[in-house]
Amino acid sequence: MSDPMNSARQGFDPGRRNFLKAAGLLGAGAAASPRVLRALAPAEAQAASVRGEESSVFSACDMCFNRCGLIARVRGGRVTKLDPNPLFTKSRGMLCARGQAGVAQLYDSDRLKTPLLRQGARGEGKWKRISWDEAIALLSAKLEEIGKKYTRCGMLFSAGADMQSAFVNRFAEVYGSFNVTSHESLCLISGNRAFLDTFGEVPFADVLNSRYVIMAGANRFEALVTPDSMDMVEAMKGGAKLVVLDPRFTKTAAMADEWWPIRPGTDMAFMLALCNVIINEKLYDERWVAEKTFGLPELHEHVSAYTPEWAAQETGIPGPEIARIARELAAAAPASLVYPGRRTSDYENSTQIRRSFAIVNALLGNWDKPGGLLAARQVGVKPVPADAPWYDDNPETRVDAHLVPLMFEEEGSFVLTREAVITGEPYPVKGWFVYKTNPMQTAPDRTRTLEMVKAMEFVCVVDIQMSDTAWMADLVLPAPSYLERKDPCQALQGSSACACVVTREPAVPAMFESRPVFDVLKEVAGRLDLAEHFDFTIEEYRAKQLAALNGAADVLARDGVYYNPSKVYGIYDNMGYKTKSAKIELYNQRYITAGLDPLPVYAPPKSPPKEIADSAFRMVVGRSALVTQSSSTNNALLHELVPTNTLWMHPAAAARLGLKDGEMVRVKSPVGEGTQKLHVTAHIREDTVYTETGFGALSKGLSRINGNGLCIAAVLEGKYDSVTGNAAMHETFVSVTKAGGAA
Amino acid sequence: MKPQLAMVIDSAKCMDCKGCMVACKVANEVPGGHFRNWIKVKEVAEPRPGRGRQGHFQPGACMHCDKPMCVDACPTGATFKDPKDGTVKIDRALCIGCGNCIPACPYGARYRHPVLKVADKCDYCPERRERGLLPACVDTCPTKARVFGDIADPDSEAARLLAANQGRIARVVRADSDTKPNMFYLADTAPADWPHKASITPPMLALTKWALPGVSALIGLAAAGVAAMAARRFLIERDGGGSGHGPGHGTEKEG
Ligand code: SF4
Ligand code: SF4
Ligand code: SF4
Repeated sequence: MSDPMNSARQGFDPGRRNFLKAAGLLGAGAAASPRVLRALAPAEAQAASVRGEESSVFSACDMCFNRCGLIARVRGGRVTKLDPNPLFTKSRGMLCARGQAGVAQLYDSDRLKTPLLRQGARGEGKWKRISWDEAIALLSAKLEEIGKKYTRCGMLFSAGADMQSAFVNRFAEVYGSFNVTSHESLCLISGNRAFLDTFGEVPFADVLNSRYVIMAGANRFEALVTPDSMDMVEAMKGGAKLVVLDPRFTKTAAMADEWWPIRPGTDMAFMLALCNVIINEKLYDERWVAEKTFGLPELHEHVSAYTPEWAAQETGIPGPEIARIARELAAAAPASLVYPGRRTSDYENSTQIRRSFAIVNALLGNWDKPGGLLAARQVGVKPVPADAPWYDDNPETRVDAHLVPLMFEEEGSFVLTREAVITGEPYPVKGWFVYKTNPMQTAPDRTRTLEMVKAMEFVCVVDIQMSDTAWMADLVLPAPSYLERKDPCQALQGSSACACVVTREPAVPAMFESRPVFDVLKEVAGRLDLAEHFDFTIEEYRAKQLAALNGAADVLARDGVYYNPSKVYGIYDNMGYKTKSAKIELYNQRYITAGLDPLPVYAPPKSPPKEIADSAFRMVVGRSALVTQSSSTNNALLHELVPTNTLWMHPAAAARLGLKDGEMVRVKSPVGEGTQKLHVTAHIREDTVYTETGFGALSKGLSRINGNGLCIAAVLEGKYDSVTGNAAMHETFVSVTKAGGAA
Repeated sequence: MKPQLAMVIDSAKCMDCKGCMVACKVANEVPGGHFRNWIKVKEVAEPRPGRGRQGHFQPGACMHCDKPMCVDACPTGATFKDPKDGTVKIDRALCIGCGNCIPACPYGARYRHPVLKVADKCDYCPERRERGLLPACVDTCPTKARVFGDIADPDSEAARLLAANQGRIARVVRADSDTKPNMFYLADTAPADWPHKASITPPMLALTKWALPGVSALIGLAAAGVAAMAARRFLIERDGGGSGHGPGHGTEKEG
C-alpha cells in the first residue's frame, strides 16, 4: 500500500549526487497532487486557504542565517506546518528544529503588535500604544533633528541578518550616515579577514568531498551551517575522517573519529605544529606550493621552533599525535582541510589564529579543488545601488575608523562603535536605528551597551518581539515575521552544492499592526526628501536583482529556488589571486605595512588573575541546533526543549568548590554577574566553563526567558580582536560560587 | 509478505538536532510536555581524549510492532494493528482514555492526550501520506537518518536498505517484553538497554478503575468497545497469522 510518491522520495539522498535524480522522481509524482509540492501564486494561495483547502507557499527560513528553502502549508488562513523545500539543495532538503518551530514564532503571544512609545525611564517597561502615523512622524522628525544637530553621521544604523536589512543599509547610505553595524562584528569577521588576507577571498569548505577534516573552534553538528553539517555526516558515511579539537565534548566531538580536549586559546599552536611537520617532512605538493603561494621560505623558518612537542605543552595534545594528524591530513590532500569555521569572535588575536588555519590549508594545496576550499561561485544576482546624496558637513569616516588596523569598512566594529558613542569621540553619535538585531544580548559587556543607550538621544527598534534592545528603546515598531512578508531575492552559495537564489512570498498577511521595515523606511524617506531612493516596490526591486538571470523569476515561482549552474572547481585555473603578490599569501606583505605580524606569532593564552585563580574559569559560549542566540530561545516549541541555559563545569572543579549538580550558582566576572543552574559534567575541561547564548533576558516582553538563566552579555568582557575589532568572547575569566553566598 | 510500513534508521547519521521531534509536534499538534518521537542518547560518563565515535544518538518512535502489547492491553479494541499497512492504530472514537496501553508499551511510545483524553502516539502521519508527503520527521531530517517505507515492497528505499544491510540490522528489544518491533537500525545502535518491562493490567480491571462521568455512558462505550475489539480480533486472526519475522533480538535479517 505504500504511496508511490513516498517510495519515490525514499531515494532522497542528502548528497548532491543523488539529489537531482530524487527531485526528478518527485516531480513525476507531483502530477498526482500538484498543490502539495508546487506552491501557488500568492493570490491563488490566499483564495484556496480561505476556501479551507490547503495551499502551499514558498519561502525561506529566518530562524537563523542559513535561509533554508521551505514550503509553508496554509489552511483556513493559518500556517499549519512548514516543510523543507525538497528542491533546495543548500540545506539538503531539510528544516531543523528551529525551522520547524517557525510557526510558533508566527503565532507567539509575545509578538509586538502595535507601535509603542516609551513612557517611563528607559528599560522601565512603561509603553504607550501609538498609531503608525504618529510613529512615522516621530521617527522622521528625530532623524531630521539628529542629522541637523550632529550631522547625518550622528545616526547609527544596526541591522541583523535579514532579507530586508539591505533596505536599512540603503536608507543609511542615502540618509548620509557611514555608521552602520551588523551582527557580523560580533561573529565572523576575524575568520573572514584571515582567509581574505591569505587567499584573497573568503572560501567555502567542500566538506562533502573531503576525506579528512580538522574542526577546531567550530561545532558543526550543533551550530548548523548548511550544507556543511549534513555534508560532514555524509562524508563520514563514505569514510572521511573528522578530527575535532574542542574544550567541550560536544555532539560534534561525540560523533567525530577523534576528539581532543584542547586547551582553549591554543589552536594556533596546533596549526603551527601541523605546518612544522608538513614542511619539515616535505608532505606538500612542492610544485603547486611553489607556483601558487608566496612566502614558503619565511614560513619554513617561522615554524621551525613550533614543533609538535612544543605544541603539546601548549595544547595538551600529545606531540606524536599532532605529528600523526599532520601526516594523515597531508596524505589525504588536496581532498583534506582545516575547517575555516564561522563564529570567530573568540580571542583578541582571532584573526591571526585563523590565519594559521588558512596557512595549513594553503600547504594542503586544496584551494579550488574537490574536498578543499572553494572560491565563491557566480550567482548573478545584481546589486541595486543607490545614488546617495553628498552631505558637506559630514565627518570623513565612520566613528570607529582607524581604531584597529584592518577593519571592514562596511561592517565596522560594534564594540568599538559603542566606545565611540559613549565617549562622544571623535564625534557625537546620538541616534540609533536598530532592525532585528539585539546587541543587548549578543554584544559582550551589557553594562557598556546600557551606557551606550544612555548616551543616545533617540533609539528606535524595529523587531518582531520585545528584544532586550527594544526594551531599552524609545520607539518600538512591530515588524511582520518572515512568513508574512514579500522579500527581495537573496543569493546564496551552498559550498559545492549550489549557487542559488531564494525569495519569500507571504504565507499569510501581516498580523496585528505589523509593517515591513521596507514600508516604514519608504515612508520615512518620503518625509525626508529621499523618496527617489525608495521609488520602487519589492517586485520592481527583485526584477532589478534578477535582470541578468533570464527566466529566474519564473523558476523561483515554480520551484522556490533558482540555481545558477556556474563553475564549482578550477575557477582560479587561469586567474591570479586577489592579494598583493597575486598568490596565496602564507606570508602577508600588507600586514607589515599595517604593523602586524606577517606570519602568525604564537602567544600563550592569559591565565586568570591570581586573586581568583582557584575559583576562576575561562568562559566559552556557543549555540546549538535549537538555539539561535536570543531570537529563538523565547519560542514556545524550542523553549520546551531548552528551557534554560546551564553552566557546564567539570566534576573535579565542582568538587573542589563544593558545588553540586543542579544547584544555582553565581557567575561573576570583572564586568558583571548573573545566576544560573550548574550542570556538572565530564564533558568539559577542568579549567573551562561553558554556557549557551540567548537567556537571562531583561525584557519582560519575552515571557519565557525574562530573568531565566544567565545572559552571556552580562558577564563577558568587551574585548575585541586587535586586527578587525571583532568581539573577543572567550577572553573572560569568571568565578563561580553558590548563589546567594558571599561573593 | 504483508504490507508493513516501517522505519529503517541509520542512527550513526543522527546528530540529535531534534528537527524530527519539533516537526512531529507541529504536524500532529502534540501538546506541551509530550512527544510522539524521541532521540535516545548513549551516556558517555567520561569521554576519552583521542578516541572516536564515543557518542551515539538513536532516533525512535512507536515501532508498529508485530506483537504489540499495547493492542493486548487495550480493553476496547481502539488500539489495533491494521493489516492493510501494518501500522498500529488508535481509533479515537473507541479509545476511552483508560491509559492501560501506556505501561504495556516497553518503549514508552504512548502518552495520554491531556485535551482529547485519548491515548496518542506516532501514526506515521497518515494525513501527510495521503497527500503524497513523507511523515513529518522523515521529511525534515537533515541527514536523512530516518528512512520510511513499506518493507514488504522490495522497491521501497526502506526495503532496499534492509536488503543491502542483511546481517547488520539491529532491533532494540527487551527479552522479557519482545514486541517484535518494526523499527530497524543499521549496524550498531546505542543505547539498547532502555526499554522497560511491559506491564498489562487486565482489561476489565482497567475498565472498573476508570471511574468517570456517568456509569451508563461508560457501559455504553465499553459495550461498543468490546464489540469492536471482538470484530478486530477476528479480522486480525483471519488476515494475520505468522508474521514474516524471525526471532527479534539484536541483529537479524529481514526478507
Ligand atoms: S538551519 Fe534551521 S534555523 Fe537555520 S535556516 Fe535552516 S531550518 Fe532555519
Ligand atoms: S512501540 Fe509500543 S505503542 Fe508502538 S506498537 Fe509497539 S508496543 Fe504498541
Ligand atoms: S532530525 Fe534526523 S538528525 Fe535530527 S535528531 Fe531527528 S533523526 Fe537525528
